[in-house]
Amino acid sequence: MSALTPELRARFDALRARYPAEMRPSLVLPLLHCMQEAKGYVERDDAVLIADYLGVSAMQVVEALEWYSMFERAPQGRYVIKVCRNISCALRGAEALIDDLRRRLGVEVGETTPDGRFTLRTVECLASCGTAPVMQVNETYHERLDATRIEAILGSLA
Amino acid sequence: MKLLIDGREIEALEGETVLQAARRHGIDIPHFCWHEKLSVAGGCRMCLVKVNGLAKLMPACGLAVVPKMRIETQVEDVERARREVMQFLLLNHPVDCGICDKAGECTLQDNEMRYGPSRPRSLEPKRHRRKLYRLSPRISLDNERCILCSRCVRFTREISGSNALGIVQRGVRSMVDRLDDRPFDDPYSDNVIGICPTGALLSTDFLYQSRVWFLEPVRSVCNGCARGCSVNVWRRKRWREPHMPGAATGPRAYRVTAFDNPEINGPWLCNKGFDLHKGMARDRLLQPLVAGRAASWDDALAAARRLLADARNPAALVSSQASNEELDAFRSLLASRFRTYAHEDCVPQPGEVAEDRLLIRADKNPNGFGVNARFGRAAMPEASDHDVVLVWGEVGDRAATRLDGVQVIHLTAFGPAAAAQAAVALPLSTHFERAGTFTNFEGKANMFAPVFDPPPGVRHAADVFRSLAA
Amino acid sequence: MSDGLVFLNHEIGPQSHTLAAYRARGGYAGLEKALATLAPADVEREVKDSGLQGRGGAGFSVGAKWGFVNKKSPVVYLCCNADEGEPGTFKDRWILEHSPHQLVEGILLAAYALAVRHALVYIRGEFDLPYRRLVAALDEARAAGLVGERILGTAFACDIIVHRGAGAYVCGEESSLLNSLEGKKGFPRSKPPFPAVKGLYQRPTVINNVETLATVPWIVANGGARYAALGAKKSPGTRLFGLSGHVMRPGIYERPTGYPLRKLIDEDGGGVLGGRPLKAVIPGGSSTPVLTAAEVETLALDVESLGKAGSMMGSGGIIVIAEGTCMVRLLQVLTRFYAHESCGQCSPCREGTDWLNRVLERVLAGKGVPADLATLRDVPAAIMGRTVCALGDAASMPVLSFVKKFGAEFEHYVAHGRSMYDGRLTVAGTR
Repeated sequence: MSALTPELRARFDALRARYPAEMRPSLVLPLLHCMQEAKGYVERDDAVLIADYLGVSAMQVVEALEWYSMFERAPQGRYVIKVCRNISCALRGAEALIDDLRRRLGVEVGETTPDGRFTLRTVECLASCGTAPVMQVNETYHERLDATRIEAILGSLA
Repeated sequence: MKLLIDGREIEALEGETVLQAARRHGIDIPHFCWHEKLSVAGGCRMCLVKVNGLAKLMPACGLAVVPKMRIETQVEDVERARREVMQFLLLNHPVDCGICDKAGECTLQDNEMRYGPSRPRSLEPKRHRRKLYRLSPRISLDNERCILCSRCVRFTREISGSNALGIVQRGVRSMVDRLDDRPFDDPYSDNVIGICPTGALLSTDFLYQSRVWFLEPVRSVCNGCARGCSVNVWRRKRWREPHMPGAATGPRAYRVTAFDNPEINGPWLCNKGFDLHKGMARDRLLQPLVAGRAASWDDALAAARRLLADARNPAALVSSQASNEELDAFRSLLASRFRTYAHEDCVPQPGEVAEDRLLIRADKNPNGFGVNARFGRAAMPEASDHDVVLVWGEVGDRAATRLDGVQVIHLTAFGPAAAAQAAVALPLSTHFERAGTFTNFEGKANMFAPVFDPPPGVRHAADVFRSLAA
Repeated sequence: MSDGLVFLNHEIGPQSHTLAAYRARGGYAGLEKALATLAPADVEREVKDSGLQGRGGAGFSVGAKWGFVNKKSPVVYLCCNADEGEPGTFKDRWILEHSPHQLVEGILLAAYALAVRHALVYIRGEFDLPYRRLVAALDEARAAGLVGERILGTAFACDIIVHRGAGAYVCGEESSLLNSLEGKKGFPRSKPPFPAVKGLYQRPTVINNVETLATVPWIVANGGARYAALGAKKSPGTRLFGLSGHVMRPGIYERPTGYPLRKLIDEDGGGVLGGRPLKAVIPGGSSTPVLTAAEVETLALDVESLGKAGSMMGSGGIIVIAEGTCMVRLLQVLTRFYAHESCGQCSPCREGTDWLNRVLERVLAGKGVPADLATLRDVPAAIMGRTVCALGDAASMPVLSFVKKFGAEFEHYVAHGRSMYDGRLTVAGTR
């Protein structure tokens, strides 16, 4: 992306209007999220656009882009499956589910299926320990998982 | 206010940190990420000290002094902490001192020697990272050697303002990187080389040229602009001349670094200053010329004296690259015989930073102040009635037309081609080849010492003036 | 709202999170009372009298923290820490999903007490439903004149901004949260200065956890003294305990502090999964030292008792571990987590957390050596107390406690190259 589109700029303006003037640099994360929603992933050039819009250094935005886990740096599948592998989910069988997903999708963790539908990831605690094991597909939490439920969930995603 | 450090009562200033107070009193608290001119980062953890007997050690770099504070730096707790911090810093460090230019002037090495040994006990293979990465044509970055102190990043944020460097990614994957594909072309980029406490950031110009313990620094002044920053010019120690077959012999400045002068440049220098030795290695005039042909000093001086004797309306362009001592010699020996004008030997080149808020001044000569104080500010007008002009200093590509139809006596160290156009040309020493002072644009005098002997054919300007005046 | 329960004092239904439902169960009564009859200092005093301790994990006295703020400063900020990330903890999410207005009311009361004009909720970037419920609650509140200018027709004004994180556990640390809020990497800050003095954009700032703030309406409505009478004397009140792991009925349980841990697991929680014997419990989120079954036999869930037992209250996230679980493998789940989340700013945590994880990976691969056991004891000791923030300590305590209490398993793995329990993490015959 070499320049801000008018609609992206409008979304940026709307986000900026939520914060007091003194807090303009706080917009870095909201605008990175906004960019990711628009484009699916964020590159360093996008970070520079955000920096120019906000009047902060480009390096600051690039550092943030590469430090936080949620920002995708490259195009992903239509559905990004994020399986929690932290302690409570591990105690309730997350590992077996991850193996199940690897087999079903035919990909390793971090990879995308050839048809571009699914990317498989493992993530840390999603604060859903009481309904473990848990995965997040794009934004949606799927809790109390087992192989059957996973099959149903995957089947429902076009 | 008073506080105790290792049982010694010292006087601290309001607002000081423990580290600052300790340093002022010559008490050494080892550190990596703290730097006198940069914000406090507090991440290296090397400066941890015991405070008021508490179990939890505190970093001295950010700890404000409080009256009657009791600091201990030489107790077992602190010594163990230092060893363990060194252990962590060296965990994935390649320890390739054998092939690293920084050896001998490396804070990591020094602290390991003094406060280790840390007896590496990790059995895990070291993590490999990017090495020999050209951050710019001038600087090589080695991410394995980097201990992520963030000094370089803070320099570009707080001092040069280029924000060209950052630390990206998280945890053990953190790495210093530049913004994008464009090289790190900040006009002050090379300062990060000096402030880097390891061999992570190295000068490509100096890469593999010499071990630093074979070199010695000589204090000099950069002649690149009217700031006149203090520099160290590094030459081979006299008893360490290279003896390898085919090795170049003779005077060589291996590198130039900043000399910390609180009055003028602090610890900083601009890239032009870092390249000072390259500037000084330009083509020299090495022998006198008469009408463009090589001549002896006696013949050339005689020709010059004749021109001056017959001159109807002689002018002198006075070099702003000259030292105060040379200017005084000119004034007492010869100036009265001329209409004197100030001469700007060097002007900003295309692409060169003209002036900024940090060090760089638009006047690209070190002693314009000295010239103006003695001879005024007037430059020679375009149209003038002078028949003989003594041009003291470089002329670059300019002035050739101005001097058409005029007899020129050219005194210069550089620019042999221009010198060949003059009626008489006399080769001079550079400020690397004598002692003296320049006065910068603020009126601050700064001294330089001789780095090399002058080449056999050249003479000091003061000597030439004496000969011409005789 | 006066039956000694602050949160689970009503039937949770599909509309519980709405303004209407909240009001029906007495919601915003505290705010109305405060704006009508109390001065800001009165609200602060009630909170001080309540003895409420922060519910995020650090347990610092809320009254004391509020007391550090100079309310006469031109700008004071309030940040609600909704970046719940401590493994085993899911109570703040519960509040956001089921009773977001309780949090909104708590924020408004705190803002009133602290002279805050702009409050921010820093919420997990990963949260979807909790985020949407909070935003919807704020829309409702704004429309009802409860947020914004002239709240409830008074001179009190406060805006609440919801700010999403972007995936970093360390941003739950309050000074890291501030740097993140300022648009930078979430590097924690050295303290002093503390946020109450120099916080967000160097303004005095109070950062409080979701559960902490959501407790304030009850305290104001019922009085601080009544809260102080609940639960354990020195660490009063109720807590939203989260039960997870090898337990029949995992979930959120509100109980008074001092409640017996085994009762929570065996009666409320339905006992250990599959009827297995209990092996261990991590009582307050993954960063708290693990306790053996013997150590929790008569343990009460209050700050002092947990401290005496060698662990901590932490975030109240109780992780239940059944007999037959391989503690070596389980520890590596945690070391991988801390290594992934280390911000990278300071050398002991950045290098040490990765080192610990790599040692455990090698042990799990059957390539451990006896020296590793000393490494697993010494490296945490070299990290603890030496770091900019508590993540270093949080990463160290599980390693130290697992190796100390289940040393035989580690020795076995190193000696034989395999687990004593076939590497099991789950309970046989269950999910």
